[in-house]
Order: sequence, then C-alpha cells, then structure tokens
Amino acid sequence: MTAPRKQDRDEVFVEFTKSICPVCKTPVDAQVNIREDKVYLRKRCREHGGFEALVYGDAEEYLASARFNKPGTIPLTFQTEVRDGCPSDCGLCPEHKQHACLGIIEVNTGCNLDCPICFADSGHQAGDGYSITHDQCARMLDAFVESEGEPEVVMFSGGEPTIHKHILDFIDLAQERPIRNVNLNTNGIRLATDRNFVAELGKRNQVPGRSVNVYLQFDGFDERTHREIRGRDLRRFKEKALANCADAGLTVTLVAAVERGLNEHELGAIIEYGVDHPAVRSVAFQPVTHSGRHVPFDPLNRLTNPDVIRLVGEQLPGWFQKGDFFPVPCCFPTCRSITYLLVDGEPGARTVVPIPRLLQVEDYLDYVSNRVMPDDGIREALEKLWSASAFMGTDTTEEQLRATAEALDCADACGIDLPEAVKSLGEKAFMIVVQDFQDPYTLNVKQLMKCCVEEITPDGRLIPFCAYNSVGYREQVREQMSGVPVADVVPNALPLADRLAPTPYGSRMLRPATDEETTA
Amino acid sequence: MSQPPPRDDVKACCAAAYSSDVVTLLLGDSYHPGGTALTRRLADALALRPDDGVLDVASGRGTTALLLAETYGVRVDGVDYSPANTALARGTAEAAGHADRVSFTTGDAERLPYPDGDFTALVCECALCTFPDKCRAAAEFARVLRPGGRVGITDVTADTDRLPAELTGLAARIACVADALPLAGYVDLLSAAGLRTLRTEPHDAALLRMIDQIEARLNLARMTAPDRLAAADIDLAAAPTVLAAARSAVADGVLGYALLIAEKPPAGRP
Repeated sequence: MTAPRKQDRDEVFVEFTKSICPVCKTPVDAQVNIREDKVYLRKRCREHGGFEALVYGDAEEYLASARFNKPGTIPLTFQTEVRDGCPSDCGLCPEHKQHACLGIIEVNTGCNLDCPICFADSGHQAGDGYSITHDQCARMLDAFVESEGEPEVVMFSGGEPTIHKHILDFIDLAQERPIRNVNLNTNGIRLATDRNFVAELGKRNQVPGRSVNVYLQFDGFDERTHREIRGRDLRRFKEKALANCADAGLTVTLVAAVERGLNEHELGAIIEYGVDHPAVRSVAFQPVTHSGRHVPFDPLNRLTNPDVIRLVGEQLPGWFQKGDFFPVPCCFPTCRSITYLLVDGEPGARTVVPIPRLLQVEDYLDYVSNRVMPDDGIREALEKLWSASAFMGTDTTEEQLRATAEALDCADACGIDLPEAVKSLGEKAFMIVVQDFQDPYTLNVKQLMKCCVEEITPDGRLIPFCAYNSVGYREQVREQMSGVPVADVVPNALPLADRLAPTPYGSRMLRPATDEETTA
Repeated sequence: MSQPPPRDDVKACCAAAYSSDVVTLLLGDSYHPGGTALTRRLADALALRPDDGVLDVASGRGTTALLLAETYGVRVDGVDYSPANTALARGTAEAAGHADRVSFTTGDAERLPYPDGDFTALVCECALCTFPDKCRAAAEFARVLRPGGRVGITDVTADTDRLPAELTGLAARIACVADALPLAGYVDLLSAAGLRTLRTEPHDAALLRMIDQIEARLNLARMTAPDRLAAADIDLAAAPTVLAAARSAVADGVLGYALLIAEKPPAGRP
C-alpha cells in the first residue's frame, strides 16, 4: 500500500487582513493570495459563506508597489473615535493613516439620467432622495477646512450636481474658504444645454488663486457603450458640453467607467480624443465600482488597474510601454496609478513622451530604502504630481510639471535658457489616471486605512470613499437625510444571482426570505 | 567613417562629454543604467560595514557616494576626471550635510591619487568601459585596495566584433558602448590585475531603460529647445536609427549591462 501523498497549495499566501461580508457588511477576516500571477482576496462570513474576488491583475507589480508607500500625514482633526475598529468607525478615526487629499460633497441624490451603472444609486426616483441645503454645504466645507487647513481640492458630486439649484452658490462657498480648487463631477447634460451656466463656471475659474475644473463622465464613442452604461445615447451632449467648456476656458478631465465586455476596447480612443480636444487635459479610467447599481459581474474576472493599463498599452502601442504608469504613493499604492504624457505635433506625426521615461521615478518615490537623494526638489514635485489631489487645470499641478521639467534641465550650468520654453510645456502635458475603487467584494482595510479620497457627510464626518460605498455608510446617510428607509445594497455579482432582489433604486438587496424558506 | 581619435583625446573627450550639460540633459546626473536600485544592489554585494573607506571611481556629481555614506555609514572618496563634476559633487555633499564623510577629488582612474591599500572597497559604475587603458585602471583598483578588499563594477558589456556600425562612432564611445568588453573580457582584465571575480550578474533591462530615457529626453528637448540640440551638435534625424540599432543589439545579446564583484586576495594568500 502506498502512503498518502501531501499536496501543495496552488496559491501563494501573502497577506492576512480584514474585509466585510458583501451581503451583511459584517467585518470578517480575509486573506490575499496569488495564483497565476494575479492577486485575489478571499473571505468567509459565518452566515453568508465564502467570497473571492480578483483585486490586482499583476502579482509582480502588486508586491513591487509596496515600497512606493509614502508615510501618511496626520489631519488637523479627527471626527470620530476608535470603537469597533476598521471599517466601522468612519471617519476619520485616529487610526486612519492619511489626511484627505480630496474631499467629495454629494449635493443630491437626484439625477437627470437613470444610468444602469451608478455606484451612488442615483436617478429620477422622486420624493425619497435628498438635496443638501446652503447651510449643510457650508458646514461640510467647514468640516473639510477644519481637518485639512488649506484643502487642495473639493469635488462636488451627486446625484447630478449641476441640477442642484444652488450649485453655483456652493462653488462660491468653497471659493470663500481656503480651498484652492473645485472639481465639478457631471454627466455634462447641463453643460451642453445651458451656456450661461458654463459661463458662470468659467467666471469662477478666473478667480485669482482658485480654479473650477470639470470632471466629465465620458465612457466612449460607441452607441452601445452609451446605452449599456448610461441608458441613453449621450454622444451629442458630450460633444457640445466639451465645446462649451473650451469656449469658457474650463479644463476638463474625461472620466470613463470601464466595464468588461462593454467599453474596454475604447480606452485608447478616449485618450487620443482628449489629447486633441482643446478643453481636455486629462483622462481618468475607473473600472466600474461594483457598489450601488451596476450590471451583473464576475468578481473573479473584473477589471483592475494593471488590466486597464495593459489595455491602454495594447490600444496605443506607439505611445505606451510597460512601466509608463506609476503607483500613487499618498494613498495605498495599489489603488491608483498615474502617468503624464508630453504630447507634441498633429495626429500622424506626434511625439509622445511619458514623463516616467525621462527619469527613474522609482528612485525618488521609494519610501522604504531611499532616505536621501540629492534631488533638487524633484521628489517634492513628483509627490505632488503622483497624488490623489493632482488635477490638470490647478496651479499646483501645473507648477509641479514645470518644476519637474526644469529639474531635468541644466539651465544654470550650460547657459542656455530653457525656462521660457518650458513654460509652454504645461499645455503639452496630459494626465492619465487609473483608479480601481474598492467594492464590497474587494474591500481590504489595509488599503482603506490609508485612503485619501473622502466623502464629506452632512453631519461633518470624512468617510473614505470606498468605505462610504461598500460598508453601508451611503445607505445610512441617505436614510437619515431623506427620512425614507433604505435597504442595504448587495453587489449584483453572478455568484449571488439567486439570492438577490431589486431595490427601488435599481440596485440589489438580499431577497427577503419566503415563508417556505423561513419555516424550512 | 572617421578614424578613432588618439586615446588621450578620447579620455578628455569622454570626461568633457560626461561633465557637459548635453549629457546631463540626456542621462540625468547619475549617468549609469539601473539607477540607485542597481547601486544599492552593488553595495549590498560589497558587504560594507560602517566606517569602511570606499573609493568611487568616476564619481560624477556624487549621487552614489552620498547614497553609500547615507545608507551604509561608510566614508567615501570620489574621484572624477572632470573638475566641474568634482565641484558640483562637493556642493551636493555640503548641502546634504555629509562633507565630513564624503570628499571629492579631480583625478585620473589610470593614476589614482591615493596610496596603496587605502580602501576597503571600490565602486566604478558605467565608467571602466570608457577608460582607454583599462588594464592600467584595473591595476590601480587593485593597488589602492587593502588585501581582502572588494571591487564592485557595473558596466556595459559588448561583443565588439558584432556591434553594428551605428554604434561604433565617437558618440557611441562616449555613451559607453563602442569600447566596452564582453563580460568575460572584464573578468580577464580584473584577473590580470590580481582581482578574483566572485560573482557576475546580467542587468540588460537597465540598459534598455537607459536607451528609453535617452530617447525620451531627446524628444523632450526637441519639444522645448530644438535650437539647443542643434547647438550641441546632436543630430536628431540620426537618433532613431542609432537608438533602434542599440535596442536590437541588446535583444541579440551583442550589447548588455552587467554587475561584477571581485576581490583582492586576502594577505597571505596568492
């Protein structure tokens, strides 16, 4: 008789952490494992069973990025206390590792669209949503200022913020405070149809020391992309909105929600379109956040940052190669990757220079082994560029682009005056951000504890964006603000399909048990 | 093609090019492929201990010397053929508050201005291939090391007989290409000087990265200051051909980058 043989596991165990049950949101232990060069997060809820999701499509880069983890900065105040532990005490609680690089204020739940994909579960649902008041907005901004001192950026979002009747007042409130930049996160319908409104934004963008920039939902060019993601063909609206922004001197970021099988083939075209449009200075790709409302998805085959970066490279092979994107050190480095391009010339005869090819970025942003670098301020410039608060159109980002270009130069020593030439470089610079927000499947408190993108709540808390969308905070705030009970949202994941039922907003919740099931 | 210039001309020319700002523009002030990550790997292999004396040959603007002093607690002497680099490196060391542990001298790698047996370790990054008399330089490395001391070298490797014509001119020579040796050639060179190679590692990817960096910086300069490039006699039209030739040479194994660690035999042993 042969002795039984021990078997090896088919995965490398790399982390023990905490997450939540995607169904009941109870904090549970979780483990991170590597299989076939991909990174997965696995967890088990006592009541709802086991769950697993792909969290990073490139294991080598997941491990390598650990050193690009900048020590956090402590905010001026915390809003909550440590009681039950992460992610139940948001926030920010004193255990949080980073200040808020970006604060988000959702001014309403109402929207002039009912997109099939909306992490905020917003739409036309009459009567049971909410809109914040002037006083509430002021208090939220004050909470942000109290925590940050001089915040770099506040983003107004929703719902659809441009349909809030006080949105311009809210921008004024932000500009009256020591908040340098305002970002308006919009589907663009009002920008396309109300030129006076765009002119009002343009006016506020001219306030000295302040800027207003537009974060425009822009998922692609195929009619199907629009219908599947937005429920409507919005192509003409997007075009008009961009033209109006260009006329008003507004800087725009094109923001694409990217979903497998829908628009993952359009990334290169979005970048090229942006590069050629006078209003557009950056593109943000966000794999669809499987919180709130979304189309059914397979958690084991979702898009992650390395997948998006790979697709971008495949679709613009003359522009990109491996290593052109670099992780952002202010948040957890696996959350966000950025590159900047310098683009010169017309289509067909273009020169494209990704900034990370000009210098060894990793020599400057390695916080584990590099204690000192004779760097002429390059590190500081790169830190501000590779940050969640970096937005094209803001003075800070433009200045740091200039500083980096100048630091690469030798104007002092060689007697040739480059700074003049470098001044025009800003207009040639183009930013590409890839951000994979966490959802109830992928949430890892290790990342969450260093999140630097915070939702500011009407009661003055700063809640990490991914906790807000995944742990149940969004539902709580909506219930408090609207006075209407809101069910806990559960991801519309294929493995859960037979356990889900629709909520009134189009998202999914756990199907109430039938009599038969409860008596069984 | 023009005749290779006489050796001293090359040396002066290399040093001039390395201290010139065109090279700074194209390669940054730490000229060697692999950046500080490879420097750190090299230093780790030298098993440095605090207060060891280390010589950095071709110390450029002092990046490596400062990294070694800061990270490993060693004392570092840097020697470079270019007085301008020496001055800049001194300034950097002072600014970083390390002037007491790091010093810089202008000098020739083939006639190192240090007594015999003065150093515990010696590093030479992407420079040996540019020295016209490499045997003499290697002998100097051996001379200034204590018995048991280690040499760490990173350098371009080249199978010179197979190098394409685009990579054999003076410009290529300055860019550490045309006068490089095959890996075995460096081992033989060190061996002839009495230095026993303990370890070699290929790092060809670092060279590809440097080629990318040169191309990106040429393009940046073309966008911002085309006149300057012309003034510096950089032939932009020829650049794509030379860069493409360099990339295929790396792919074909004709051109590469390597790390070598060698030891001067301890006293009492041959």
